[in-house]
Amino acid sequence: MIGGLVRILAFQGLGELVSKFALPLVPGPVIGLVLLLAFLAARRSVPEGTRLVASTLVQHLGLLFVPAAVGVVLFWPQLASHAMAVALALVASVVLTIAVPALVLRVLSKGS
Amino acid sequence: MAIHEIWVYLSGSPLLALILTLGAYHAGVLAYERAGRHPLANPVLIAVTLIALIITTIDMPYAQYFEGAQFVHFLLGTATVALAVPIYEGLGALRGRIVPLFLALLAGGAVSIASAVGIAKLLHADPAIVGALWPKSVTAPIAMGVAERIHVSPTLTAVFAVTTGILGAVLARYVLDAVGAKAWWQRGFALGVASHGIGTSRAFSVSEEAGTYASLAMGLHGILGAVAIPLVAQLFRPV
Repeated sequence: MIGGLVRILAFQGLGELVSKFALPLVPGPVIGLVLLLAFLAARRSVPEGTRLVASTLVQHLGLLFVPAAVGVVLFWPQLASHAMAVALALVASVVLTIAVPALVLRVLSKGS
Repeated sequence: MAIHEIWVYLSGSPLLALILTLGAYHAGVLAYERAGRHPLANPVLIAVTLIALIITTIDMPYAQYFEGAQFVHFLLGTATVALAVPIYEGLGALRGRIVPLFLALLAGGAVSIASAVGIAKLLHADPAIVGALWPKSVTAPIAMGVAERIHVSPTLTAVFAVTTGILGAVLARYVLDAVGAKAWWQRGFALGVASHGIGTSRAFSVSEEAGTYASLAMGLHGILGAVAIPLVAQLFRPV
């Protein structure tokens, strides 16, 4: 378990370094994700400890963005005065973002 | 010892914010289970509402709350790296369908940004709000990293991402029926593209196949979004 945590933290650190010195546009953790993915693909399996730590973290992903999301209290006035625009943008966009990929897949996989 | 002294002592340590964060999230998870895992009873939504109410009532500034809660926040990056494991395990589902899936992902990602940003601009929303809408269909931990890169508020982005996830999970059925998508893998993938983690858990509760494809879509959209959104945003909104 601890070995898995060390491995994931090491990939996170590596990702941060690459982001800082080579690819500043991409967030460090995402580079870490891609590097870990490449490592797993090369190894063709997931080490047990890594799987354990990853599944625990991913299962409780929601908890981890609570502290940042509470910052919404700072944006209340702004959000309230643009409530209509925000609501419409979010609802229309999510409907289209579900519909378009579904249509693309339906059309492209016809007959297969 | 006066209550006041206990209070001053507690609020000076990270303990209070940590208990608040974990306690509120735990309450959210219990409510979610009790509601039969209905997407509207989202644990994050419940936790954020509870904490916001509590810190407003006790007059705790957000900065002070965050100072304690940052220990939880730090793990967000670690959890993002850990997403490599479910993505790796879902890669097998790509086999034989890689081209349609990638085209669907690209189309979905582009439509997500164009529609949200377009509508918000049309309705004269604040530029800070419009900017934070860019990464909202990307899974929240990655979306927040992208928000920092394009100089918008990670907080607003997180809130929009969670809302998008909930809306997608609630509306997906009707939208997918309306466009006549019947195959589970198509339904799941479309839901994962649009509403990331929350959509994925919804998809898993309906069908294992839909869930696998939703999870794959969420992971791929996360990686694509992290690379492409800052580049595209640079073209359209020069800083």
